[in-house]
Amino acid sequence: MTTTAAPGGEGVSATTTSARPHHEGLAARRALRNARIRGAVFLAIGVYAFYLASSAFSTPASFLFRFFNTGQERFEIATSVGLLWLVSGLASALVGGLQLWRGAAFRWRPWLFVVIAPIVVAVFGALLDGTTANFTNVLRGSLELATPLTLGAMAGILSERSGMLNIALNGKMLVGACVSVIVGSVVLRFTGNVIVSTTIAIAAAMAVSGVLGLLLAWLGIRYKVDQIIAGTVINIGALGITNFLFLRVLGRNPEFNTPPTVAAMQLPILSDLPVVGPILFSLRPYVYIALVMMVVLTYFIYRTRWGLRLRASGEKPAAAGTVGINVIRIRYQALLLAGLICGLAGSYLPLATAGSFQMDMVAGKGFIALAAMIFGAWHPIGAFGAALVFGFADSAQALLSVLGVAVPPQLLNSVPYVITIVVVAGVVGRVRGPASAGQPYEQG
Amino acid sequence: MNLLRSLARRALLPGLSVLSALILGGVGIIITDFDHLSQLGSDPLVAIGGAVSGVFNGYGAMIAGAFGDPSRIATALQTGNERDIATAIRPLTETLVAAMPLIFVGLAVAISFRAGMFNIGGDGQLILGALGATIVAIALQTSGLPSLVILVLAIAASVVAGALWGFIPGFLKARTGAHEVITTIMLNYVAAQIVLFALIGPFLRQAGSSQPISKSMTWVDVPPIVTLPAIRLDWGFVVALVMAGVVSWLLFKTTKGFELRAAGFSPTAARYAGMSAGGSMMLAMSLSGALAGMGGGFMVIGTVGQLSNDLSGGIGFNAIALALLAGLRPSGVVLAALLFGALTTGGKEMGIQTGIPFDLLFFIIALVIMFVAAPGLIRSIWRVRVKPAADVPSMAPSAPAGTV
Repeated sequence: MTTTAAPGGEGVSATTTSARPHHEGLAARRALRNARIRGAVFLAIGVYAFYLASSAFSTPASFLFRFFNTGQERFEIATSVGLLWLVSGLASALVGGLQLWRGAAFRWRPWLFVVIAPIVVAVFGALLDGTTANFTNVLRGSLELATPLTLGAMAGILSERSGMLNIALNGKMLVGACVSVIVGSVVLRFTGNVIVSTTIAIAAAMAVSGVLGLLLAWLGIRYKVDQIIAGTVINIGALGITNFLFLRVLGRNPEFNTPPTVAAMQLPILSDLPVVGPILFSLRPYVYIALVMMVVLTYFIYRTRWGLRLRASGEKPAAAGTVGINVIRIRYQALLLAGLICGLAGSYLPLATAGSFQMDMVAGKGFIALAAMIFGAWHPIGAFGAALVFGFADSAQALLSVLGVAVPPQLLNSVPYVITIVVVAGVVGRVRGPASAGQPYEQG
Repeated sequence: MNLLRSLARRALLPGLSVLSALILGGVGIIITDFDHLSQLGSDPLVAIGGAVSGVFNGYGAMIAGAFGDPSRIATALQTGNERDIATAIRPLTETLVAAMPLIFVGLAVAISFRAGMFNIGGDGQLILGALGATIVAIALQTSGLPSLVILVLAIAASVVAGALWGFIPGFLKARTGAHEVITTIMLNYVAAQIVLFALIGPFLRQAGSSQPISKSMTWVDVPPIVTLPAIRLDWGFVVALVMAGVVSWLLFKTTKGFELRAAGFSPTAARYAGMSAGGSMMLAMSLSGALAGMGGGFMVIGTVGQLSNDLSGGIGFNAIALALLAGLRPSGVVLAALLFGALTTGGKEMGIQTGIPFDLLFFIIALVIMFVAAPGLIRSIWRVRVKPAADVPSMAPSAPAGTV
C-alpha cells in the first residue's frame, strides 16, 4: 500500500476546489488549516508515543515467525515494547513533519498507513505484555480476515461509484452465507465431491445475492424508494429469513448445515519460500480471488469505457445521460455485480472459517466493509489497505483472547465497531465520495 | 361519513402493506414445510393442503396468542374468579405489554425521521437506557428510599443514558456528516458489548447465574394498572401513551418542533431561514435516544424485571417499520405499536405451538417497510388507486452525498 493515488484523480482538495472556482480562496485556506491541524495531530501522536516508549523499554516484545509451512524451524524477533513505541513515534513525527512542511499539497492518505501500522503493532505488543506471539499466524489471519471485508468493500465501491448507496452489503452477505451452506450441503451429499459442491455453493450464493442487488436497484430506481430505506429492508429481511431458515430447517436437519469447507491452498514453489511462504502463499483461494478482483476492478473502473461511464453515472448522472450514457442500465449492472461479489464474500464466512451457518454470522461485517470503502477513498486498492488494518485488529484480537490477556473480551470485541464509527465520522480526514450517490435519477 | 372515508383511505395503504407482507410470510412458511412437501411426489394434494393449513394454523395461533379467546374472557368475567380472569385476559394484556416499548421506540424513530435522521439505533439506545435504570436501581437497593423514588430516579437514568447514546450519532452527523445509519448500527453492537461487560461484575450480575443477566429487581417495580396474578401490564403503558401526546404536541405545536420538521424537509431551506440544522439533528437524536432509553427503563424495571443483553429482541427494527407504517404520526405510532405488539406476542405463541420460528416476523416486517416505502408497488399489485400521504417528508430524506 504505497500508493492509493489513482489515475482517476482522488486528490481531495484539488477536485473540490477546481469544481468551484469562486470559492477557491476560501477552500484553499480551509485546506491549509486542515493540513496544519492534521500535521499537529500527527506530531502529538508521535510525542505521546515517545512518552509511552520511555516507560516500556523493560517490557519485552517477542514475535515468533515460522520458516516453512512444514517442520518446526522458527525464529523470534525479540524487541521491547518501548522500541516499538519509539518506532511508532518516529514514524508519526516524520509524517507530521512532512505534512506541516508540504501543507495542503501533501498527499497524506497513503502515509496514514505508515503512521497506523507501527502503532497497531506496538499496541499489540503492549497488550501481549511479554508473552511470545506467533506472528506468522497473526499475519496470515489478518489477510484471511480482511478478505470478506475487501470483497464487501469492492461491492460497495461498484455500487456507490454508479450512484447507488449500498447499505445492504450486510444483508446480502448474510443471505449469501446461508444459501452457500444449504446448497453446498445438499450438493455435497448427492455428489460427494468437495470441489464441485463448493463451486456450486458459491455460485448459488452469488446468484441469490445478485438478485438481491437487483432488488435494491429496482426499488431505488423504479419506485424511487430512498436507497437507505431499501437497504434497510434488505438488511432486516435477510436477518429474518436466515434466522427463520436456521431455526426451522438448519437447526433441525443438520445434514443441511454441513457444507464443504475451503482449505488453505499451497501455491506451488512460492509457498516453499522461507518466512513469506507461510504468510502470503499458503492461504485460502478466497484471498487470491479478492486480490485479483482488486486489480481487475481498479483496471475496469479507471481504464475502461465502462468504468468511465460508471464513474460519470455516480458523479453527474444528468451530464452522463445527456451524452447518451444509459445511467439506469449502468446502475443495474453495477448493483448486480456488487450483489455477486457480496455473495462470494458471504460464502467465505461459513465455508472458510466457521464450517457451518450460524444466526447473524455476518455480525456487521458489511458495515465494516463500508467503512473500509470510505477509509480507502472509494478506491479498490485503498479499500484493501483499510480492510487489512481491520483484519489485523481482528486477528490480533483473536490471538489475545486465546492467550487470555487481561483485557475484557467485550472491550476487544467492540474495537472494530468503534474504529468503523471513527472512520465514517471522518476523524481521520474527510474523503469525497461519488457526488450523486443516493440520489434518484430521472431518465429524460 | 367523510371522516370515515378519509380514515379508510388513510388506512388502506398500510393495511394492504401488512396484508401483502403476511401473505409473503405465509409463502415462506409453505416452502420451508419440508415435512409436508416431502410427500409431494406421492400425494401432492395432501402435501400442499398440509403445508397451506400449516400457514393457517400458524397465523391462527398468532391471533389467539395475541387476543385470547373472547368467549373464555366472557365466562371468566361472569364467574369473577381472579385466576380465571387473569389467564383469560393475559394474551390481551401481554399484547399491551409488548406494545409499550414499541410505542416508546416507535416515537423515537418518528421524531428522528421527522428531523431527517434515519435512526436505526433504537436497540442500542433502549438497552443502554435499561442499563442506566438497572445500575441506579441496584445502587439504591439498600438506600432505604421508597420504591417510588427509586423508580423515578431509575427512569431518569434511563432517559439520560438513552439520550447520550442518541446524541453521539446526532453530533457526528451534524459535525462530520457521518451517516447515522452506519454509526447507529455500530453503536448497537457497542451497546450490546457494554451491557455484557457491565453484567460480568458481581455488582449487577445475578449471583450464581451462568448467563449474563442482572439481579431481579424485586424491590422496585412500576405500579400495575390491574392487580391480578401474572398480569404484567403496568403504568409504563400509560406513560407511553402520554409520551405520544407529548411528542405530538412537541412536533406540531412548538417552535422547536417546527424547526425539527423543517430540518427534515429540507436542511438547506432550514439553514437559509436561520435555523440551525445541525442543532436540530442533535436535538432530535437526543430526544429520540431519550424516548428509546425510557422504554428500556420501563421494560427492565417494570415488565421484565431484570437486565439481559437480549432484552430488546429486535424492537429497534420493529419500531422502524411501525413508524413508517404510521406515517410518522404519534397517534399512528400508538395504533401501529398495538398491531406490532399483537404480532410479537402472537408470533411467540405461534413459535411455541406450531414450531414456526418467531424470526419470521423480521422478514414480514422488512416486507412491510418495503411496501410502505414503495407505495407504487402496492398499487400495482392490488390495482388500487391510493394517494400517498402528502404531509410526510419523503420518509427519510436523501442522504447528503459523499458520506456513505
